[in-house]
Amino acid sequence: LLLTLDGDELGIIEAAATFLEGAIPLARLHRGEPAVDLTHDTRKQIAEMGWFAITLGAEHGGSGLSGIEHVLFHREVGRRCGAIDILATSLAVLIAPAGAIRDELMAGGASIAAAVADGERLRILGSADAKMAVHISGDESRLIDLAGVSFEARPSLDPSVSMRVLHPAGIRVSAVSLDPTVPRLARLGVAAMLVGVAERALELIVEYAKVRHTFGRPIGAYQAVRHPCADMALRAEAARCQLWFAAAAMKEGRRDMDAHIDAAKHLANEAAVTNADVDIQLHGGIGVTDEHDAHLLLKHALLLSRLFGSKRTLLSRLLNASVED
Amino acid sequence: VNLSYSEADREFRARARAWLATNVPKAARPSAGPASSRFDRDWQRRLFDHGWAGVAWPKAYGGLGLTGLQQVIWYEELARAKAPHHINTTYVGLMHAGPTLILRGTDQQKSAHLSRILSGENLWCQGFSEPNAGSDLAALRTSGVLDGDEIVVSGAKMWTTDAQFADFQELLVRTDPKAERHKGLTWLICDMRTPGISIKPIRTMLNDEHVNMVFYNDVRVPLGNVVGQVGGGWSTALATLSFERGLGFIGDQLELYERVCRAIELAARCLCEDGKSALEDQGIAQRLAAIKADAIAIRAMTLADIAETERTGQPGPKSSLMKLMVTKTHKALSEVVGEIMGWDFLEFNGDRQSHPWTYEYLWSWVFSISGGSSEIQREIAADRILGLPRAR
Repeated sequence: LLLTLDGDELGIIEAAATFLEGAIPLARLHRGEPAVDLTHDTRKQIAEMGWFAITLGAEHGGSGLSGIEHVLFHREVGRRCGAIDILATSLAVLIAPAGAIRDELMAGGASIAAAVADGERLRILGSADAKMAVHISGDESRLIDLAGVSFEARPSLDPSVSMRVLHPAGIRVSAVSLDPTVPRLARLGVAAMLVGVAERALELIVEYAKVRHTFGRPIGAYQAVRHPCADMALRAEAARCQLWFAAAAMKEGRRDMDAHIDAAKHLANEAAVTNADVDIQLHGGIGVTDEHDAHLLLKHALLLSRLFGSKRTLLSRLLNASVED
Repeated sequence: VNLSYSEADREFRARARAWLATNVPKAARPSAGPASSRFDRDWQRRLFDHGWAGVAWPKAYGGLGLTGLQQVIWYEELARAKAPHHINTTYVGLMHAGPTLILRGTDQQKSAHLSRILSGENLWCQGFSEPNAGSDLAALRTSGVLDGDEIVVSGAKMWTTDAQFADFQELLVRTDPKAERHKGLTWLICDMRTPGISIKPIRTMLNDEHVNMVFYNDVRVPLGNVVGQVGGGWSTALATLSFERGLGFIGDQLELYERVCRAIELAARCLCEDGKSALEDQGIAQRLAAIKADAIAIRAMTLADIAETERTGQPGPKSSLMKLMVTKTHKALSEVVGEIMGWDFLEFNGDRQSHPWTYEYLWSWVFSISGGSSEIQREIAADRILGLPRAR
């Protein structure tokens, strides 16, 4: 048992970070409203590098890697407020049976969103040109067809994710999977993105606290700033350790993996939302400006914290859950 | 990352569980007085005689020479078996004096003390804080004057837990009053039976006298009892503190999960004013579940910490985050249980056995102040993890 990243795992982070920093830097969200959350070109590049099929078995043309590599990659996506399309596509690849649809998904040929139940409606999160959406309900994961369906576009607080609503009556289901791996990777993927947000928020304020001076000193020398930063570091550390544990628990097929994944998602929800909140406050006035990254992290954290495991759902499951040695 | 236990780990856990099942004392630990330290010594002796003492200590010093992970497994099994709590009069010796000697002691010091710590023969206490040096430890003024092959100690120490039962003390004194304040310190092994030492208990809000003031009136300590260098005491003390903050509370870290499960059972039994169980209250249920999630994460943090410590040989600055997390969760659990229990929570006579939840609630301040207050832990994290500009 070794709860620390090895050389191969650090290599995955390095590769993902280098690629994503070029493809989807946070700065893209300051260049005016993008037409889609994930551009055609970026989707193609992600596909070419095999990131959509990390956890798909090697016998099906995937990388055959585990939940660990899945979270390492999605943490990097989260740090840049990456589109929901990226996680949705990697889940769709697992839901679709072998054949033309899966091949197209793996090749980055189709835009995929996530669909979540919202009362009587389905809420669609992801690019406006999405052809299909991944809808997870309990143990059942569906790939639903969005072609020709009428939507109502909704304004989105989070500029990195577009929202639409639709009535699901008569909607066509392209594929169904009962593989419990899919909902687990969904929760883990979002938890990883949230950890990325929590860490990015901490980095932004630590960097700023070293250079911004008030009363003749850098603000990072004041305990009113230092102590909340230490608390942010704690939230990020606890959420990250639990994320590694949960991903490894899934890889190794531990019986208590769902409790660990729920705990990881809960800690990540809290860490991302609170860190993003404190990050804005400690920045002062500049923190509430549109040109700063701080609000992007908060808005993205609020969205992700509702996706695939809200506080209420997670805590009601955790109350009766148990973990083993 | 991998979570699978080796065959040796699984075998160790099974053996520990089987032994504890029939060997945990049936009688409760007396809560105070010489009977309590006798109980601790007897239990430690029993562990030593049956080959369970010093799981991760080197074999050469009487330990089992096993891994940090097996040490974690041992504490998990202690918590599961409801064995005597590890924070007792053997704690300072086992959790920080011993590890400090292993890291910094001379061969002679190691052979004189380590196996006696493991066997429960020698109990230790800590002599770092003073009436005017707590969070600012380097402000300490208890003096050590070199005189031939001895150091003559005069002054006072504060908050010394279990001084009245201890045989030895890890004693930090100022041997060079002219040097820069972190540089003139020396870490000594002080025999508590040396003439000139007197002890005055301090009554705490827990209704007990577990902490003391210790006074030194020309106490002569042999030079051979210096651990590290004369004038190098700060460095030795930092090693001691890293053990205290990092793995020193490992038993509590792992016990938290067991305790939150017990609190959930308690909430199902306790009735609120409206006649419903406390667990039916959504606010209480959510808080308990969130604390359970934190307790689960604490175990992950502990295992990550162990991996890091195995790599570097000594706990790093992340142990400050660990202490913040554990003390915060401990307090949150105590507070919610206080609400669950209603009036019963206020029945307290200072006895840990009969009123464990109220005792733990009051203890939560001891936890978040001793071994470096939460405020100091945040300072350490800001300096050493985040690299923020220094305030001091």
